[in-house]
Amino acid sequence: MASVRAASRLLSKRVLSKTTTVPAASVQGSRNFHFSIYGKKKNAKVSDDISTQYPVVDHEFDAVVVGAGGAGLRAAFGLSEAGFNTACVTKLFPTRSHTVAAQGGINAALGNMEEDDWRWHFYDTVKGSDWLGDQDAIHYMTEQAPAAVVELENFGMPFSRTEDGKIYQRAFGGQSLKYGKGGQAHRCCCVADRTGHSLLHTLYGRSLRYDTSYFVEYFCKGVIALCMEDGSIHRFRAQNTVIATGGYGRTYFSCTSAHTSTGDGNAMVTRAGLPCQDLEFVQFHPTGIYGAGCLITEGCRGEGGILINSEGERFMERYAPNAKDLASRDVVSRSMTIEIREGRGVGPEKDHVYLQLHHLPPQQLATRLPGISETAMIFAGVDVTKEPIPVLPTVHYNMGGVPTNYKGQVITHTGGEDKVVRGLYACGEAACASVHGANRLGANSLLDLVVFGRACALTIAEEHKPGEKLSPLQPSAGEESVANLDKLRFANGNLRTSEIRLNMQKTMQAHAAVFRTGSVLKEGCDKMDAIYQTLDDIKTFDRGIVWNTDLVETLELQNLMLNAVQTIHAAEQRKESRGAHAREDFKDRVDEYDYSKPLQGQEKKPYDQHWRKHSLSFVDPKTGKVTLKYRPVIDSSLDEQDCAHVPPAIRSY
Amino acid sequence: MFVLRSLFTSARRHVVSPSLTVGRVFPGCSRAASGVVKDKEPLKKAKTPQGRFDSPEERSKEVLEKFPDDVNPLTKEKGGPRGPEPTRYGDWERKGRCVDF
Repeated sequence: MASVRAASRLLSKRVLSKTTTVPAASVQGSRNFHFSIYGKKKNAKVSDDISTQYPVVDHEFDAVVVGAGGAGLRAAFGLSEAGFNTACVTKLFPTRSHTVAAQGGINAALGNMEEDDWRWHFYDTVKGSDWLGDQDAIHYMTEQAPAAVVELENFGMPFSRTEDGKIYQRAFGGQSLKYGKGGQAHRCCCVADRTGHSLLHTLYGRSLRYDTSYFVEYFCKGVIALCMEDGSIHRFRAQNTVIATGGYGRTYFSCTSAHTSTGDGNAMVTRAGLPCQDLEFVQFHPTGIYGAGCLITEGCRGEGGILINSEGERFMERYAPNAKDLASRDVVSRSMTIEIREGRGVGPEKDHVYLQLHHLPPQQLATRLPGISETAMIFAGVDVTKEPIPVLPTVHYNMGGVPTNYKGQVITHTGGEDKVVRGLYACGEAACASVHGANRLGANSLLDLVVFGRACALTIAEEHKPGEKLSPLQPSAGEESVANLDKLRFANGNLRTSEIRLNMQKTMQAHAAVFRTGSVLKEGCDKMDAIYQTLDDIKTFDRGIVWNTDLVETLELQNLMLNAVQTIHAAEQRKESRGAHAREDFKDRVDEYDYSKPLQGQEKKPYDQHWRKHSLSFVDPKTGKVTLKYRPVIDSSLDEQDCAHVPPAIRSY
Repeated sequence: MFVLRSLFTSARRHVVSPSLTVGRVFPGCSRAASGVVKDKEPLKKAKTPQGRFDSPEERSKEVLEKFPDDVNPLTKEKGGPRGPEPTRYGDWERKGRCVDF
């Protein structure tokens, strides 16, 4: 597959052989053609400090943004606008980032359809997060939401409009009025049916106005990057680094994310010895197409579609006798997983179930669900009027990531207090400022991107000035990364990258998916630890350095592994059910008080005996050993006078 | 006439790369060498974007039809998603695919 991908590229190659040392002076001159640094061409120095076989190009900037999705672009041009010399390093072209696939809307309490207040949005988000979200970050996000949407609209994003010309807002899951008591709120703004696509293009177009240097198709390890086009190593020195690399859906066998969602930012942070937060909270959807990963809407079941197992039985009748196939998403996901575990799955590996729609009249399907036959044919290769669609629970979003405060600064927890890591910031799906907590509400993640992308840029502008002197760097900094690169490039073990990756994905899907219980998770942890060790036995085939997709996929696999082991260990340790993390053996939420009963007379549980806290996971990259610590949830909002915090309660919809 | 005919054939040989000159050459020649061109089959349009948009009947019927003037008749939303309301089942649905929930 690596060779096919390489062959399809139109770029010309000059393979850098092992013995040739490219003289320092000639790199800039003769290879300028390949360099594609957009923007400032000065201050790129080549040095032999790390290795003579891998000449390193040194760059100096005021700020580096890793990742050019919605959050990364917003941070990059926010910084450029503030006058900072910014580099945006991305492994994909900006408009190819996974944000482009986000077709839903973006929530903001603009109040165009009815009277609305951002404090109600705040309440809905806190409740949706199952009280694991940091209320100061949620306060910040929901208060900034109307301004952020108006700003996007001023950048040229073509939102849909009402007759009066105001932005049209529609009702979408989980949004209510008057703190849950006023009925459904209409808060979701959209751009026809491609909000994420339009957002990314708008931000990209806007960012070209500023002097950001784009380094496209550079794969990052720390702030050392491999240029995939010509195989050169680049070191980016900057006082400020923003991580906006997205989620890590690809650790699971079935996910909606692109192949490029490999949690690179989380892995970089882990290798730096910093924790990742709440990685066990992964959002699943029950009916994702087997193999393709696209989600089939719940409307199919709403219109009469049924889920069947290998015996042709409508198994939901056993799990939810009343609601049957219309039970809530987590019940359906768990039932499907239990059926598969008990051996009643379909297909050659018995690892999925069928969604049957052919018993419904085709006319009805065409009118109520237009386009579904096209979708089923393209992604599943089935004729929906004759055959059932193969489905299984699929990962959609990662609530966890790099822990930050509401300003976007990365934090770590030492001595019982949150401590800011100077110079490092994170935003978007890669970060966990914890606005989503244990469960993300629909249409909040695009909002999260723009608000916190902007927040990172503002915080950096507040605390630093453009052209600040850089702190001294060891000449051999990044040596480990280059050594790792070299080791992988010439790896000659027994297992291919694709094999190890498939093992990891299948294990995660079987053990750390929707159905979580002590024994299953423990078994999964042991298997994942063993698979982590097999990374030493990896075999790569492409020995070149130019557009070596084998090497890049192996680097991505290392990143995925780090995310996967943290996810499963954190899930195994958390002995409660909260939001997206639901366990069969611990079905209730374990808070400091039992909120289902009146608080009067209850004794507060000590911190180490309840679970309303964030998990912080550390990994030793050499051994793969995971250590877990915890950090309390921030319960106070930014301004208690303006917006009181929401005390925990039982979450029921 | 002889000169124009040869000009016509030589011009056709050069129509390998799609370009604006295609459009310009043929009408001119067909007007001048009228008897010659009418007997031949209608010339295929180049697959340039212009060529494709010129004949709307070639485009396949889209599953989700565009609203007249891009305004949804029920909700009066301008520039909104085509087809039935995407959030009608509680998630964001398009062509049977769920994109947000």
